[in-house]
Amino acid sequence: MEQPKRIVIIGAGTAGTIAANKIYKKAKKTKIPFEITVIDPTFKHVYQPGFLFTMFKKDKTHALIKDARKLLPKKVKTIQDKVVKLDTKEQLVTTEKGGVVPYDYLVIATGASIRTDVVDWWDDTIYHFYTPPEAERLSDQIVNFKGGKIVVAIADMPFKCPPAPIEACFLLDDYFKKKKLRDKVEITYASPLNRAFSIETANEVVQPILEKRGINLMTYFNVDEVDTEEKVVYSVEGDELDYDLLIMVPPHRGQKFLEEAGLTETGGWVKTDRFTLKVEGFDNIFALGDATNIPTSKAGSTAHYEAPTLAKNLVHEMKKDGIEEKYDGHVQCFFLTSFGRSLFLDFNYQNPPRPGKPSKFWWWFKLIFKPFYFRFVATGRV
Amino acid sequence: MEYEVVKTIDARGSFCPGPMMELVRAIKSVDVGQVVDLISSDKGSELEIPKWCEKAGHKLLEMKKEGEATHYIVQKGEKRRRKKKKE
Repeated sequence: MEQPKRIVIIGAGTAGTIAANKIYKKAKKTKIPFEITVIDPTFKHVYQPGFLFTMFKKDKTHALIKDARKLLPKKVKTIQDKVVKLDTKEQLVTTEKGGVVPYDYLVIATGASIRTDVVDWWDDTIYHFYTPPEAERLSDQIVNFKGGKIVVAIADMPFKCPPAPIEACFLLDDYFKKKKLRDKVEITYASPLNRAFSIETANEVVQPILEKRGINLMTYFNVDEVDTEEKVVYSVEGDELDYDLLIMVPPHRGQKFLEEAGLTETGGWVKTDRFTLKVEGFDNIFALGDATNIPTSKAGSTAHYEAPTLAKNLVHEMKKDGIEEKYDGHVQCFFLTSFGRSLFLDFNYQNPPRPGKPSKFWWWFKLIFKPFYFRFVATGRV
Repeated sequence: MEYEVVKTIDARGSFCPGPMMELVRAIKSVDVGQVVDLISSDKGSELEIPKWCEKAGHKLLEMKKEGEATHYIVQKGEKRRRKKKKE
């Protein structure tokens, strides 16, 4: 009897969970026996877009977390452990508790880690909203803020959800307006680029909104270091910003075991073919989501649209039929401009986004998306 | 033009703002006066890199075409004086 093909997926976040569901459905249609194993240290599946609401105490973090095992097909095996080593020659994955998991096909869905430890100036007087506890810690600062200078800056690029820091500025503006404190609060967005938002067509819409709302924009501000005693942020370009509250997108990095396996470039991002989603140099290793070096947004939506292509190409490899599907770079995302309006960005490698005006429709869509996400997106139904 | 490149970053295949961010990282890691060679195939870099060098006080010594890519030879400038930093 033919041995089942062993498909191992590392990571049970958005990328790993959707990939597992899509691969399962696709592989089931073939006559090839297979088994899927997902390895994750916690199996806590977090709906990260909710962090923007948490920072204003408008969403509880526990409502954003589900057990990833409940989002996977029942026949998928799970191992709760942390991967510490990948041997691509012997096709083995080693876990922290000493487990050795062989694979025929490997999917890397390890995401991006928040690594405030890579800069020596970071301390707990700098706030961010990229993890549930940190978003909650920041929310205490925001609700108790009575006036002063708020600086929103970026420690390093790339980072998850490129609109997030600008969305944070828009929401801060709206929040303090509603609290009738806006005239006491100065908000500054420090962008590493020569404009507010990386994609020019979207920036044409976003930057004028910042201006209209009285949010200061500091361009070419690549953070060099922060003097947390003096409360000053310094840029590589020689500029400086005083603050009373500093909200900073923290440094993001890939996973160490992938670097040690020689699969990554600067920052630990996996060298991945942006069309086939195969890891450079391998036909049996794939990567998707935030873990890759693909030149598009690090966002859940990216993983969502990559997963069908990845599943098809993995099954083509199982069948050895020589067919390769191509991911077209499709990403969709909401871009909140207030508590009540949102833009919608829809783009791919060839076509940049053409967002219209901020609308109530996309705001409501964003709100209902969370239950829709857990029920339909994470489970691979859409 | 004579210079000694201490760091070469091959950012070919990376798109805006990737190459510029690679240059920012490289410049942070070298000493004042040292020279970095950034290789980029992204058209956006042709505008972005000279602008950033001017803003940040680094010297763009040369832009050399090589096939589809361009070498941006950048010399790290003096760090701007900080008004508030305590010594």
